[in-house]
Amino acid sequence: MLVPLSYNLRSLFVRKSATLLTVLGIGATVAIVSGVLALQQGFRTMFTSGGREDVAVFLRPGANSEGDSQFSRDRGLNLIKSVAEIEIGESGPIASMEAYLAVLLPPSRGGVTNVPLRGVQPMSFEIRKGELSIVEGANFQPGSDELIVGSRLVGRIQDCYVGGVIQLNKTPFRVVGVFEHPGQFGGEIWGDLDRLLSAMGRYGPNRVIAKLRPGSEIGAPDPVAVMFSDDPPDPEPGSLAARLLKDNEVPAKVYTEKQFLASQTVMLTFMLAGLGIGLGVIMGLAAVFTATNTMLSALAARTHEIGILLAMGYRPVPIFVSFLFEALMLGILGGLAGWVMALPFNGVQAGTMNFQTFTEMTFAFRVTPIVLGIAIAFSVMLGLLGGAWPAWRAARLKPTDALRKA
Amino acid sequence: MSSFKLVWRNLMRRPLRSILTILSLVVAIFLICGLRTLITTLNAGVENADSRRLAVMSATGLFVELPMKYQADMERIPGVELTTKFQWFGGYYRSQKNFFAQFAIDPDTMFDMYPECQVPAQEIEAFRQDRTSCVIGASLAKEFEWKVGDMIPIIGALHPHPEDKAWEFRVAGIYHSDVPNFDNRTMFFHWTYFEETLKQGGVPPGVGVFSIRVEKGANVDDVIRDVEDVFHDSEQRVDCATEAEFQRQFVTMFGNVPLFVGWIGSGVVLAILLACVNTMLMALREQTTDIGILKALGFTDASMFGLLIAQSLFLCVLGGALGLLVAWGTQGMIAERLGTMFPGYTIRPATFGFAAAVALGIGLLAGLVPAGRAGRLRCVEALRGTD
Repeated sequence: MLVPLSYNLRSLFVRKSATLLTVLGIGATVAIVSGVLALQQGFRTMFTSGGREDVAVFLRPGANSEGDSQFSRDRGLNLIKSVAEIEIGESGPIASMEAYLAVLLPPSRGGVTNVPLRGVQPMSFEIRKGELSIVEGANFQPGSDELIVGSRLVGRIQDCYVGGVIQLNKTPFRVVGVFEHPGQFGGEIWGDLDRLLSAMGRYGPNRVIAKLRPGSEIGAPDPVAVMFSDDPPDPEPGSLAARLLKDNEVPAKVYTEKQFLASQTVMLTFMLAGLGIGLGVIMGLAAVFTATNTMLSALAARTHEIGILLAMGYRPVPIFVSFLFEALMLGILGGLAGWVMALPFNGVQAGTMNFQTFTEMTFAFRVTPIVLGIAIAFSVMLGLLGGAWPAWRAARLKPTDALRKA
Repeated sequence: MSSFKLVWRNLMRRPLRSILTILSLVVAIFLICGLRTLITTLNAGVENADSRRLAVMSATGLFVELPMKYQADMERIPGVELTTKFQWFGGYYRSQKNFFAQFAIDPDTMFDMYPECQVPAQEIEAFRQDRTSCVIGASLAKEFEWKVGDMIPIIGALHPHPEDKAWEFRVAGIYHSDVPNFDNRTMFFHWTYFEETLKQGGVPPGVGVFSIRVEKGANVDDVIRDVEDVFHDSEQRVDCATEAEFQRQFVTMFGNVPLFVGWIGSGVVLAILLACVNTMLMALREQTTDIGILKALGFTDASMFGLLIAQSLFLCVLGGALGLLVAWGTQGMIAERLGTMFPGYTIRPATFGFAAAVALGIGLLAGLVPAGRAGRLRCVEALRGTD
């Protein structure tokens, strides 16, 4: 027969201060781990929501990021014409050359930061139809010194608002619109490809992007596997990726956009996950110690009661279960406290540098169901680990010894 | 019985609880040291900067190249004593996971400009003689087991070799640096080799950053203004800043990260403070009868207050000291793991002091409430019973 659960709930209530302190302690630990996870989630949401399977990204062979890559204008055009997998729209291939450059701009918080600047052609908007929308002002006129800024930059970077003027080298550009994009582009500045290239004194675009015909396969190896292997896997023989790599006219490396974005963020993802796990383990240890202390003190205070329970005929196993249940309740309450502490961070905007692209990324904490799930599982584990030893001790008590204790 | 013995006996009443509380503190103090060191390491470059060195880069951004001819123009500016140039190579050894920084440099001026980059004289000479050679940092040499004379193939992701192969560099020397803002994990190679190879492919290189050393006694602000003015109407405008300012700009790029690290640290302190308060309240509950007896024997309220505070302080000071020891002992291992991402991880004395103060603070705060109650306890009530 099991000990009634109400017995445990009441004893948690009787020892209010110890229960509360333990719950808050576990809560703080859970909140920290949830916070780091929420950051990782926000970061992931931002990048995966921009990564499409039907969009191909072409880079110079050997380049690992847009900044590394470079094509001349002619080669870019050549590439667009020669790849049969690119979808053809009413006004030609749905492909665009893009220039990418990190420019130093002052954030509102002070100092400087590298903001991604992207020179695009009209087809970029055709490719992003449905993803990207102008929410204020208008789009830039092709061939003009006008810019549009991602909505996540507004308020974070100086001059990023409609009517603002951003000086790029010697040319002042006027901001005429604000656009929204859930992915990385929402933190970028866009303008006309040729105007930006000439203002910056650059001679060619960095990458080509294109919409693929339905059903086309690229056959590129997983770029993350390529990054971390001394003997990188090759593209599938005969695929577009294999063919382009060896092309005589314009050799290129091609990925789906989804693959490409995963490769651009793998380091930061690893770092955040590592930080979350590291803090979770170390802080978790301390939280387990606290829970153990609380349960040991509960045991000491209730030794006499346990003697009575044993004398009434309760077996050691139900006593063990009963104590473990009490610890579990501490854990769950701690997890809930952790939720309460972590939830206010949901949606808070953060900005930091991505080491791989060396540019500022703006993204928000996202306390997703996954974060909440991990948090509660973590707190349950803390409670159970903390309760195991005291519960074992309780179950091992001899009724005569236990009854003797006042 | 001496008062210390009383404190000790009370702590040993529940040895497991005392040990677990101490261990919690070890964890907390270790974390505080680590987190704080992340911030101080980030700022180390700013504090160690040489006030006579200036950095010149494109006003547009770090990725925009400056023309090589700018160097001669800068040398004509009054107050400029020495200039040298750098270009980021952006390659990798075998795969991207083996990342480290490589720079094309001018071997005739670079070592004058950066005396903190220490290379044995004959190795500098060997480096100057062989234009396909390089010098590498001591940590890099250790990590990849490279020694003088080895050939290192580097894949030029940013600057591909015109013959579509890896660039090869012979190790001519190994440098050492004792200052935190000059890391030991970089490769420096000849500008001429860089320039000539790229010219084969038809694209001469540009310069990422110029360093300037200002003459002793010259006004640094004037030199900065003159440098920016000289290139105001040239093809690329420049941003000239003291080394400290340059490093500070770099730190600001980390954005909200330092703030988040601070939040995490506060969370750690809060969690451990609660744990210690919990421990001390339990201790008070168990010692209530004893306190009643002691008071009946004539011990003052103040001494009972002291008894509880002393227990709390003892736990926290011991836990804190062990935490500092762990932080100090694991420092080398952590520095190694952080590698390139975060070179120069060293815990400063000030950080140890800060963490010790935190431990002491937790000890005082956690002891305060139970000690106050112990002091106020009326003898009869205390003797009447515990919970």
